[in-house]
Parts: sequence; structure tokens; C-alpha cells
Amino acid sequence: MQDNVTSALLDPSHSSVSTQDKSSTGGHTSSTGPQPSKLSSITPVPAKSRNPNSGANFHRMRRIIAEDPEWSLTIVPLLTELCIQHIIKNFQRNPILKQLLPEHQQKVLNHLSPDLPLAVTANLIDDENYWLRCCMQRWPVCHVAEHGGSWKRMFFERHLENLLKHFIPGTTDPAVILDLLPLCRNYVRRVHVDQFLPPVRLLAQPQTGDQSDSGSEGEMEEPALDHYQLGDLVAGLSHLEELDLVYGVKDCGMNFEWNLFLFTYHDCHSLAATIKACHTLKIFKLTQSKVNDEKARIIIRSLLDHPVLEELDLSHNLIGDRGARGAAKLLNHSRLRVLNLANNQVHGPGAQSLAHALAHNTNLVSLNLRLNCIKDEGGQALAHALQTNKCLTTLHLGGNELSEPTATLLSQVLAINTTLTSINLSCNHIGLDGGKQLLEGMSDNKTLLEFDLRLSDVAQESEYLIGQALYANREAARQRALNPSHFMSTITASGPENSGIK
Amino acid sequence: MNPPGSLEGLEPNVDEHLSTQVLEPSVNSDNPQERIQARRLRIAARLEARRREALGEHLDGKKESEEDQSKSYKQKEESRLKLAKLLLCGTELVTNIQVAIDIREIHRRVEEDLKRQRIEKLEDEVKTSQDKFVKITSKWEEGKQKRIPQELWEMLNTQQLHCAGLLEDKNKLISELQQELKTKDDQYVKDLKKQSDDICLLLERMEEQVKNVMKTFREELYHIEKAFEMERQELLASNRKKWERALQAHNAKELEYLINRMKKVEDYEKQLNKQRIWDCEEYNTIKIKLEQDVQILEQHLQQRKAVYQLNQEKLEYNLQVLKKRDEESTVIKSQQKRKINRLQDTLNNLRSKYAKQIKQLQEENQSLTLEYKRLMTQFKELQKAVRHFALIDDEKFREIWLMNEEEAKDLIARAFDVDRIIHTHHLGLPWTAPDFWFLKNVGPISQQPQKSTTQIVEEMLLRTEEEEAEEAASESESYLDLPKQISEKTAKRILMLLCDESVRRGRAAAEGLTGVFCCRGLCRASALGIESEDDLYKLVSFFLQYRAHHLSSSLQSKPCSQASVEEASVEETSMESELELAERTEMEGEKEASLVEGEKGEEEETPPSPWVIHPNDVLKILKAFVKGLRKPRDSQAPLRVQKSVRSNSKDSEYWRALTTVIPPSRLNLWDALYTALEKYHLVLTQRAKLLLENSSLEQQNTELQALLQQYLTSKVGIRAFQGGVAGGGGGDRGQELAVGNKESPPHQRRCDVKNQQWHLETITGQRSRSCLKSPPG
Repeated sequence: MQDNVTSALLDPSHSSVSTQDKSSTGGHTSSTGPQPSKLSSITPVPAKSRNPNSGANFHRMRRIIAEDPEWSLTIVPLLTELCIQHIIKNFQRNPILKQLLPEHQQKVLNHLSPDLPLAVTANLIDDENYWLRCCMQRWPVCHVAEHGGSWKRMFFERHLENLLKHFIPGTTDPAVILDLLPLCRNYVRRVHVDQFLPPVRLLAQPQTGDQSDSGSEGEMEEPALDHYQLGDLVAGLSHLEELDLVYGVKDCGMNFEWNLFLFTYHDCHSLAATIKACHTLKIFKLTQSKVNDEKARIIIRSLLDHPVLEELDLSHNLIGDRGARGAAKLLNHSRLRVLNLANNQVHGPGAQSLAHALAHNTNLVSLNLRLNCIKDEGGQALAHALQTNKCLTTLHLGGNELSEPTATLLSQVLAINTTLTSINLSCNHIGLDGGKQLLEGMSDNKTLLEFDLRLSDVAQESEYLIGQALYANREAARQRALNPSHFMSTITASGPENSGIK
Repeated sequence: MNPPGSLEGLEPNVDEHLSTQVLEPSVNSDNPQERIQARRLRIAARLEARRREALGEHLDGKKESEEDQSKSYKQKEESRLKLAKLLLCGTELVTNIQVAIDIREIHRRVEEDLKRQRIEKLEDEVKTSQDKFVKITSKWEEGKQKRIPQELWEMLNTQQLHCAGLLEDKNKLISELQQELKTKDDQYVKDLKKQSDDICLLLERMEEQVKNVMKTFREELYHIEKAFEMERQELLASNRKKWERALQAHNAKELEYLINRMKKVEDYEKQLNKQRIWDCEEYNTIKIKLEQDVQILEQHLQQRKAVYQLNQEKLEYNLQVLKKRDEESTVIKSQQKRKINRLQDTLNNLRSKYAKQIKQLQEENQSLTLEYKRLMTQFKELQKAVRHFALIDDEKFREIWLMNEEEAKDLIARAFDVDRIIHTHHLGLPWTAPDFWFLKNVGPISQQPQKSTTQIVEEMLLRTEEEEAEEAASESESYLDLPKQISEKTAKRILMLLCDESVRRGRAAAEGLTGVFCCRGLCRASALGIESEDDLYKLVSFFLQYRAHHLSSSLQSKPCSQASVEEASVEETSMESELELAERTEMEGEKEASLVEGEKGEEEETPPSPWVIHPNDVLKILKAFVKGLRKPRDSQAPLRVQKSVRSNSKDSEYWRALTTVIPPSRLNLWDALYTALEKYHLVLTQRAKLLLENSSLEQQNTELQALLQQYLTSKVGIRAFQGGVAGGGGGDRGQELAVGNKESPPHQRRCDVKNQQWHLETITGQRSRSCLKSPPG
């Protein structure tokens, strides 16, 4: 795999050498692997070509060109070039970079090997191109945009992620990660780990024991089932902003055991302490980790009055009403802007407490309650809350068994509210009448841009008309965005037109 | 299964949705779409126009370009809409899968109720099987007691059967559960497959979407470029066409113009010729006419000249006249100027006079004011003199009064003496001295008669004391220059102080005195302070004055303080015993107030500022005040009396009363007495005469007797003598008679005297009788 990548990487450099005869340096330093042989093959060439140059006979020279396929016009490389070559060769032992002139630095950086130990490069090299090469070498697919457009950051983040992913408590040496800490502490802003390996047990046990046994063993061994404790790592990362964790095992295949997906109380407590201590954290995601009410409350309690936290994602867990109540409390005790509780077990009371918190909240922008079971009582409470809320823009209530009463209230909200831009009511039982009422509400709304009513038993006619209204709203919003100076005039001008379209 | 069905159900819906919106506009949706398009274009055009207007550009100039632009704009808008729709529908298509899975999940969750049912079922099963098991185990015990093998065997059989039943039940349950597990497994596998299918589908769709979007974006880009290209081409073509057309038109017009010009040149030439001929003719006619005109004008000129001559003469004459007038006017002007100068002089004179007059008047005024001042001083002096004279007059008046009064009183006393003598001596009646008010009066009558009767009585009783008190009260005047000018505030303040301090003062007085007045001191003090307003004012001013001379007076006040306390206490005792004293002081205060008002004009002293008087000083001040009250001041007293306005009404009455001190009835008595006494006097004189006669007769008698004796002795003479006495009874009668009557006349006289005595006794009574008896005694 790696070979392939390197060869793929090498290929263009070869071609570039062949196309650009003058710059032989590209050929020299294209890769460190085959360098000795190449250098040896190239260095004699100028020696040969020196003779025709001294002879200064074009005819002869041309003839020699024809004869010698290795012949090149390049002259003896400059001393600086040679020095740079040397520096590059001995970079690992004697890293000299900052002392060089900028153009020489660039040359050195362009030809450094991505395999150099991180201890040397991490705090020395800031050049994006070098880290680009490092990344491209290690991973075939790189989304640098996900890492703030910085290749170096991406490299360290993914490197750390890899280490964490394959960390086996009790087996792997914790120093592996902690050694990396001083190198990456200034570059890592986001930790995204989608698997935590449990400690390895005796091989014999899982093979012999049947399900009930393993379950009992799991309970017995629970203290031993704790995953890697992030506390030290997170405390060391001074710029950490995002923490995205999944306590689970990927690609377990036929080795599946319930124990592999166990987010223990010890894990929970240590995680809570970790995030409480981390005052730079802006985004915290803990998904698909079987977080139940108790654990959710432990985590949320640690997040109360967090100075900068803006996004909390606890989707795909087992959070019920008590957890939702905790989240509601958090809403008014933090600066939370995005709350995602999708695919949990929040019922009516939980949604009501969330609605109560939402009624006078001025921070929350997005609320996702997809695939819960808040039913009409929760839906109505949320709709009431939205009548007073002036901040929320996105609301996802898909798959919540809502029906007509909620739609009635929501239609009133639509007529009043001017901040909501996106509502999702898909997979509910809004019904035909509910759809009509929503359509009525939409007719008075000028700000909503998205309104998802798929698979919610709404008549196609009203869905279509709502779509038309949304389209008009989007056009108006676009006009507003295009020329904000003519904001008022466009509104007045396009107002009647839009109504005409409807 | 439900989810795939729903998904499939969803897809045509989506397709329909897509088809309605983007791919192939159907008959139904076509019209509204186009309508929307048209409206949108209109909006865009309006917006454009508005923007233009805002930018201040000429609409006319840009109209064409706008039309040209509209095509590309249209294309852009179209493709934008198309792309937006594509994106929207694409994301919808992709998310449809998510939604479908969501709803499937919801359905699954609903199915999860089965799990609960299953658990319940299992629990029931466990319970029933437990019961059965218990039953079986109890039967084992039973079996142990069985002794008969057949019974035991039977029982064992039944037990076996029961066990088999239980086992069967359990097995059935297990098999059921396994069945269910299998189905669930199948379902799980199916779900997995379904999910992987879904994911595949999702990926496929995403890929498709990406491809579609790329393709459409590319297409749209191509379209837009093409549109722009076309527009450019069209624009070029149209411009070229326009250009060519314009050129052609230009050429044609040029030709036309040329031809026209030629035609016009010919015309003009013809016209010129015509004009020349016509002009020549006209010239001639005009020349003739003008010559005629010249002749006429010359005639006119002659006439004008004549008129001119005439006018010149007239004007010269006028000039002469005007010159003369001018001269005259200059003369008049000079005259006027002179006049003005003269008037100016007079004005100046008058001014100087006026100033002088002012000065003079001022001097006069000054002298007059000086005079006035002098007169005022004189007037004051005069007043002083008047006052002085008034004093003297009063003094004189008083002296005269006293003198007269004394005289009158002497006379009255004499009259009374006489009366008393008359009464006691003559009439033998008891005499009572009449008591009239005026008898007690000494000096001129003052306002005292206005007092109430009780007061008069009291005054009469306490006359001497009153006089003393009067004087004492009047003395206070010297201290009190301006009681009324002191502001109410200060008065109040001092009063307050006094009220506070009165208690102390009273106590201090009490300490200084014997314990007799101890308890009464307080009320007395207050009475002294408040009883009369004037007293109060006096006190106030006294306070102020005292303040002013505090340092100087403090030294003097100290040594005499002890004495003053005693004096004050003395006064207080008097006041205590006689309430009217307070009233009197009040009254006198009023009197003095009037006096003081009179004086005020002269003794205008500035009211002293309300100083804060320390409470400790109050006692001293009060002492001084009281002491001052008691100080004798003789020199002031007459002054005060003189100043009282005297009323003469009572004087005549007084004097008349003095005259009528002896009532007329008594005078009448006196008259009667007088006449009676006169008569008595007469009687007495007669009697005296008779007595004399008697004595002389007795003498004669004795002589005669002696003679008789002698005669008798001489015997011859006895007879003669008897005869001579009898004759001598009639005075000059013979002695015979005298002897005869020698015994009888004294008897007769005695009878006469006895008659006279009775008469007198009737008139004079006992005393006169005793008087009558006394002469024989």
C-alpha cells in the first residue's frame, strides 16, 4: 500500500524531471529511497559533459547528445545545492532549518522525507507542503477542510486519532501517547475518535464461554473494561476545541460481544472530569456509546457553566427524560448554541422540560430531537416555547410521533416567529388537516427557508404549496443577501410578487 | 416488510416531485412555472431599474443594453433556478433514504412492544411452571409414604406424565423462542442486508447526485456561456445590421440632399435674377420718392429754424428772468443766514442764561435747605422751649392750684368748724364731718376719675402706697426707650428665655430670701414677665441695652445684686399681697407707652440686633432690671405729669363742688338760727338793762332802807319813811309808796322774770335755763 503510494508520488516527479531538463534538483531529491543509486548515476554525467563543454563544439556536442542517453546539460551543482543536499540527508541527526535563507529553507523543506521522526519535525517545521506530503503518504483520502485547512494540524490530529484508536488499555504503553503530547499539543484542536478498544482478556475465555457466561464475566470484570482515560491527554492539549468520541469497536465482525460497546461509569466519570477541566472545548460529541440517563447527567453536570462550550451532541444514545431534563438545565447554564439529542429515548416530559428551558433561552440556535418519542405533549410544549423564543433557527422534530395538535400550534408559531429558518417534521403523523393548518401558518411567514414534511401524511397539494412558499422565502432571502443595502426596498418590491406567486 | 415498501412508495413521489419541478414541466405545472418566470423577470427588471435610478444613470441610454443583457441574465437566472432545484431535489432524494430509514426505525420501535409482551409471557410461563414444579415435588413426598408398589407405580407414572408435560411445555416455549430468534435473526440479516442496500443506494444516489450536479453545473455553465456567446453574436449581428442600415440610410439621405441642393441652387438663381430686376425698379421709385421727401424735409427744416429762433429768444428772456431771481434768492439767502446767526446768538444767550438760572436756583435751593434746616433746628428748639414752658406752666398751674386749693380748704375747714360749733354748741346736735372726694384731692385732677369704683375705693385705701408705686413705675421709663421697635422675634426669644429662666430666677430669689416666698416665686416671676406687654417690651429693650453695656454694667451689677434680690423680693411680696398692683403696673405701662410714643420721634435709636443672650446672663439682667425699676427718679416724675393731657372739664366741677361743701339746707338753718339768736340777743340786752335797773333799784332800796333805819332809829322818821317808801314805788313817786311797795315790786318782777324765763326756755332749752340761773348764782 505504502509502496504504491510512494511510487505514485514518485511518478510525477520523474515526469517533471524529464520535462524540465534544466532543474535536475527535482530528480536528485525526489525521494530518499533510491537516491544513492541515482546520485551515483547522475554525478558522472556532468563529468562526462564537461568535456564537450570545454571543447565548445556544437556539432560534436550534438553528436554526443545523440550518443549518450544519460547526457544532460546540467552543470556541476552549486555549493549551496550540495550543502542543501547534505542538510537534507542528515536532517534527522542535525536538523538545520531556521538558520537558512528563506529560499534555501524552501528547498530543504521540499526535499525532506516525510518519514522523518516526529520528534525532529513536529516543532521545527511549519511548512504546509511538507505536512501535505506527510499526509498524502500516510492516508489516501484527506479532507483538509475538516481540519481547518491546515495540513500539519490534520497530520497530528489523525496521527493522534490513530494512536487512540488502536490503544489497548493494559497492553499498550500509555507513554506512546503521552510522548506525542509535547509534539502535538500546539497543533491539535480536534480529537475525533470513533473507537475505543477494551482491554484484552484472556483468549480462552471468549472462545469457551457462551453468552450468559460472558455477560456475567463482563459484570465481574467491569473495572477492567474501562477504556483509555483521556484526562492526561486532554489536559495537555492547550488548543483543544472539539472532542468527538464514540465508545465502541469498529469492524468487530464475528467477534461481536456486547461488552465491546460498554461505556462504563468509570469511563463516564473520568470523561466528565476531563471535559470539565478543559476550558477551551467548544464542541463535545459523544455518540453511539450507550449513554443512559445517569451517565448523561454526570456528563451534563460537569458541563454546567462551561465557559465556551457551544455544541453538545449526544445523539444515538439511550438518554431518556431525566437526561433531557439535565440538558434543559444545561441550556440555561451555558452558552450552548447547538444541542443534538437525535435518536434517544426522550419522551413527552423530557421535551416539556426542554421547551421550558427554551422559552427564554437566547443562545440555542439549533435543536435536534430526531427519532425520539416526544409525542404531542412534547411537541405542543415546544411550540409554545417557540412563541416566545427569539433565537432558535433550526429545529428537527423528525420521527417523533407528532400529530395534528402540534401542527396547529406550530402553524401559529410560524405566523409569529421570525427567527426560525428550518423545521423538520418528517416521519410524523401530521395528517391532512394538520398539513392545511401548517400551510395557513406558512402563508404568514417570510423567514422560513426549509420545512421538511416528508412521510408525514400531509396532502401533496399542501406540501407543494408549502414548497412554493418556501421557495419564495428563499428567493427573498437571496435577494436580501445579494444587496443588503436595498434590503427594505426589495422586501417591499418583492412582497406583493411573492404573494402573487403563491 | 414495511420499510422497503415505504421507500418504494417514496421514490415515485420524489420522482413525481422532480418531474413536476425540473425535468419535464407537465401541463399542469407548466403554466404557473412560466408565470413565475415572467414575474421573476419583471421583478428583476424593476430591481434593475431601481438600482439604475439609485445610481443616477440615464434610463434611456441604457435601455437597449438592458434588453440585450436580459437574455444572458435570463439564462443565468434560469440556470440558477434549475441548479437550485436540482440541488434541492437531489438532497431531498438523498435524504429520502434517511427519512425512510427513520420511519422504518419508528415502526421497528413500535414493534418492540412485542418484546415486552414476550417478557410478560415468559414470566407467566415461569410462574405456571413453577407452580407445576411445586406440585410435582410435593407429590414426591406423598410417594415416599406409599407402601403398595402398584400405587407407587401408578403415582410414579403420573409423576412421569406430569414431568413430561412440564418438559414439553418448556420445550415448546424454547422451540417457540428459538423460532422467534430465528425469525429475528432472519429479520436482522434482512435488516442488515436492507441497510447495506440502503447504504449502497445512498452512495449510489450521492454519486449520482454528484455526477448530476457536476453535469448540470457544467451544462449550465456551458449554457450560460453559450447564452453569453449567442448574446454577443446576436449583439454583434444586430449592431452590424444596424450599422449597415444606418450607412445605407445615410447614403440615401446624402444623395437626396445633393439632389435637393442642386434644385435649390437653380431656384435661387432664378429668384436672384427676378429679384434684381425688381430691385432696380424699386430703387428708382424709391429714389424719386426720397427726393420728394428731401424737399419736404427742407421745408420743414426752414420752419423748424424759425421756431428755433423764436424759442431761443424766449429762452434768453427766461434766462434773464431766472438770473434775476437767482440774485434775489442769494440776497434772501444771505439775509436768512444772518437771521440764523442772530437767532443762534440769542439761543446761546438764552442757554447761558438758563445755565445761570439753574445755578442760581440751585444755590437758592441750597440756601433754602440750609434755611429749612436751621428752621427745623429752631423749630426743635422752639418745641423744646414750648415743652419747657409747658412744664413751667404746669408747675405754675399746679402751684396756683395748690394755693387756691389750700385757701379753699382753709375756708372749708373754717366753715366746717363753724358748722361744728353751731351744731354742738348752739344746737346741741352731734356733728358729722361730710366726706366728699374732692376734699381729699390734692393738686390738679388727673385721669384717675376714669378708674372703676372698686379701684377708686382701693386707691383711697392705699393712697400713699399708690403714689409711691406710681412713681416707681414711672421710673422704669428711663430705661425703656423703644419697646415697640424691637422685633417680635427678639421679644419672643427673650420671652422664651425668660420663661425658661424665670424658674431659675424664682429659685435664686427664693434662695436669697427667706423661705416664705419660696413657692410663690415662680408664678410671681412669670407674672412680672408676662403680665403686661409693655413691661415685656421694657424688659426686652432693657435686655438689649444691658447687652450693649454688659461689660461696664456687669461690674456694677455684682455688688448690688444681693440688695436687688431683696428689693425684688420686697416688690414681689407687695405684688403678691395686692393683686391690683399688677393691674396698676399694666395700666401705667399703657400710659407710658403713649408717652413713649410721643417721645419716639425724637429718640430714634436703631433697634439693636437680636443678640443671643446667654441664659446665664438672664438672671443678672433681670436683677438689674428690677433694681432699675426701684431706683428713685425725682427729676423725671414732674416731666411725666406735665405731659399728661389735662382735661379742664372736671376743674370747674371741682371748684364748684368746693363751694357747695355746705349744703343749702344747712345755710337755711344757719339763717334761721341767726335770726333766733338775734332775737335772743335782743332779749338778753333788754334783760341786761333790766338787771342794771334792778341793781340800781336795789341800791336805792338799800340806801333807802339805811335811811329808814336811820329814820326809825330816830323814830320820827319811821313813819315818814314808810310813807316815803310807799310813794317811792313809782320811781319818782313818793317815799310812801316806795315803802308800801317795798315788798311787792320784787314779787312782781319775779313774776315777770318768771314769764321771761319760760319764753327763753322754750327757745334755748336747758342750757339757756342754766344760763339764766347762773346770774342769781
